[in-house]
Amino acid sequence: MSSPKLETVGIHKKYPGTVAIDNISIKFEGGNVHALMGKNGAGKSTLVKILAGAVQPTSGKILINSTEVRLHSPIDAFDRGIATVYQELSLVPHLTVAENILLGRLPKRKGLGGIIIDWPQVFARAESLLNDMQVSLDVKAKATDLGVAQQQIVEIAKAMSFNPSVIMLDEPTSALAQHETENLFRLIRKLAQKDVAIIYITHRLGELQRIADTVTVLRDGKYIDTVEMKKTTPEKIAHMMFGEIIQKKRPVDIKASEKTVMEVRNLERKNSLHGINFTLREGEVLGIAGMLGSGRTELLRAIFGAEPFDDGEIILDGVSIRNLTPARMNKLGVALMPENRKEEGLVQVLSTRANMCLAGLERISTRGFTTKARERTVVNRLVEKLDIRVSDIEQAVSSLSGGNQQKVIVGNWLNTNPRIILFDEPTRGIDVKAKQQIFQIIWDLSQRKISSIFVSSELEELLEVCHRILIMKRGQIVDEVQPQNLSADDLFVLCQETNQGEKICH
Amino acid sequence: MSLNKLRCQAKQSAMEIVLLLLCIILAFRAEGFFTTDNLLNVLRNVSMQGVIAFGMTMVIISGEIDLSVGSAVAFSGCLTARLVQLLSGSDIAMPMGSAIVIAIVCSLITGFAVGCLTGFIRVKFGVPTFITTLAWMTALTGAAELITNGFPLTPFPQWYNFIGGGYLFGIPFPAIIFLLCFVIIHFLMNYTSFGRSIHAVGGNAEAARLSGINVSKIKILVMGIVALLAAISGVMQSAEIMSGTATMAKGWELDIISAVIIGGTSLFGGQGKVRGTLIGVIFLGVLVNGMTLLNISEYWQHVVRGVLILAAVLINRAQPTSR
Repeated sequence: MSSPKLETVGIHKKYPGTVAIDNISIKFEGGNVHALMGKNGAGKSTLVKILAGAVQPTSGKILINSTEVRLHSPIDAFDRGIATVYQELSLVPHLTVAENILLGRLPKRKGLGGIIIDWPQVFARAESLLNDMQVSLDVKAKATDLGVAQQQIVEIAKAMSFNPSVIMLDEPTSALAQHETENLFRLIRKLAQKDVAIIYITHRLGELQRIADTVTVLRDGKYIDTVEMKKTTPEKIAHMMFGEIIQKKRPVDIKASEKTVMEVRNLERKNSLHGINFTLREGEVLGIAGMLGSGRTELLRAIFGAEPFDDGEIILDGVSIRNLTPARMNKLGVALMPENRKEEGLVQVLSTRANMCLAGLERISTRGFTTKARERTVVNRLVEKLDIRVSDIEQAVSSLSGGNQQKVIVGNWLNTNPRIILFDEPTRGIDVKAKQQIFQIIWDLSQRKISSIFVSSELEELLEVCHRILIMKRGQIVDEVQPQNLSADDLFVLCQETNQGEKICH
Repeated sequence: MSLNKLRCQAKQSAMEIVLLLLCIILAFRAEGFFTTDNLLNVLRNVSMQGVIAFGMTMVIISGEIDLSVGSAVAFSGCLTARLVQLLSGSDIAMPMGSAIVIAIVCSLITGFAVGCLTGFIRVKFGVPTFITTLAWMTALTGAAELITNGFPLTPFPQWYNFIGGGYLFGIPFPAIIFLLCFVIIHFLMNYTSFGRSIHAVGGNAEAARLSGINVSKIKILVMGIVALLAAISGVMQSAEIMSGTATMAKGWELDIISAVIIGGTSLFGGQGKVRGTLIGVIFLGVLVNGMTLLNISEYWQHVVRGVLILAAVLINRAQPTSR
């Protein structure tokens, strides 16, 4: 085999207080689709950022064609032939496809007494690039008129216009439909034939067999192994991703009662939810597992009235609830901790005190009147109870750490005396200790007969926290499992998207 | 520690200190500034705009804007005048007292309704209030011209002047309304769940909605309140000049928004204090009065005010805010 296009030797990245990646050495060959696998926090994105020049490694070497290089900036990486297509597409919506591809490098010519843009050249060059990739796309179309899949092709064309020797694709299929994924894979194959080294970042097991030649697995920032796809199985890869984990157990005295508090019947929402049926019992912690885009967030938002649904009903204590709005659900004792803490959960410019008195405003005040002193009493009690580390509750909430911000949102909702709390990824981006505290809070609530629905991408967490786990795929609940007879890699395999809706194994 | 605290306090009350300094300088340099008559005069002059400025503070904190307040003043002044003319005229011949009361009530209700409509269009159709109120600005001026047919209407009896030019216990009547509005709105913003919700809605409407706050209701009410205050101001203004004129209060929206910004309210929403606006309004009034007493040309006055707005915003950006 030829010498690798790109090689990392002992790459190491430290952030204050944590090691993001530790001693990573990988070789990426031309003409090879090399997948990087790992669960959230495994270090995939840090490695991508380092190879894209956006982050500098603490130590270790990067070799391009066997020559050691330093990538000072993303532009530097581009110039050296490493192109990156990020998960978040970044096209300028009202410019044409051609302009987006050649953004910042539009061909110019002399004319009108100065230098002006050579429009025929712009379109011709974009056209030839797309032809090279064997895709047909109108170069004069506006980016905003394209679908997500087409936008992604434009992004890839943009990356290809630099004539890269390495192209990194960060979770490229996360927003694509099934047939669009097929087209993308065909395109990737063609690129590989041009002797480009392709680094394919994903956490979808099902895709690997269809696209990857080689797979490298990372776990907790460490290099686990690199294997040929032909010589391995999805189960083996899943096992490499999760390792031998000692599964923690929730306290034994936390039991759900037999009484049903909520029932969801035939919930339908166009393009996101299909025939959802389940019940939630008093004091139960119900988990929902599923890949990104499986409809788990949409389900919680629909139950909470944050987004409308087309058909079906939500039944609380035997009463069907009509015209759901967050305000009504709040009054009925349902709480939602949204997925995007910063954008949806908190009012960043307001104080910790104000943020903890949002949902319960009506309860804290009497006939619409309230005072700071009264709010302080309520907030101080919760700050102590939830162990929120805050120097001054009058300071803007944006100054708190992620874990503490999350606890502020919990506190905000505890003020409403909820009976059901919907947790959407409550542990994202918070440290281990704060995670354990959140779990403890959920268990304490369960003992007080408050039910929770817990959505998380961290499967180990679901197994640790929940009484029962529903598995969602493409807007449907496809399975229900008990955590006691399951390991994280089993659950992971169950959650995978598969070709014809079949399970990969079992 | 105590020095630090003092510095913190000084930063918090930067505008109060600047206002105090300005007053001290004017007391020494501008003849006739530091007299009861002049100070009461300043207070009267700022009252008409000041009443609206408190409402504007609510609007800006809620993340919206109202550019139509100047036109709303003219509209409500003209509407009041026209209604008084009609009701007390020979056809209906209502007693003057009742005609005026009915006219005022109608104007206030109309003003409030127009504001609520702006808020409704905002929440129902997602049209930014910047656009809607820009449209109202033109439309209401036009409506005022239609009502008055382009000439000042003067149907008012002499006693009506009290509302805009009279004194109660030696204090100008509009100033009493001004201070009353301050107390009410300050209380509303700081001691009611309604006021708290306004801050939350302006700081992050989605987070507020997901916390179960009725964002639509809040926005509609806030836009209604500022328009109501503009209508009140319009009635007082018509009483001061004893007529309804379509050209009155032209350009007020900029003075009012300036006062709110000088008072430290963030144009990005969520943050701001009614007390700050009180200081901002008085500060602008004192400045104009002082410059006039010092015989500074009106052209320079415009330049100074412009620079001042910029300076105030820069000061606000520089200091860390907390609420």
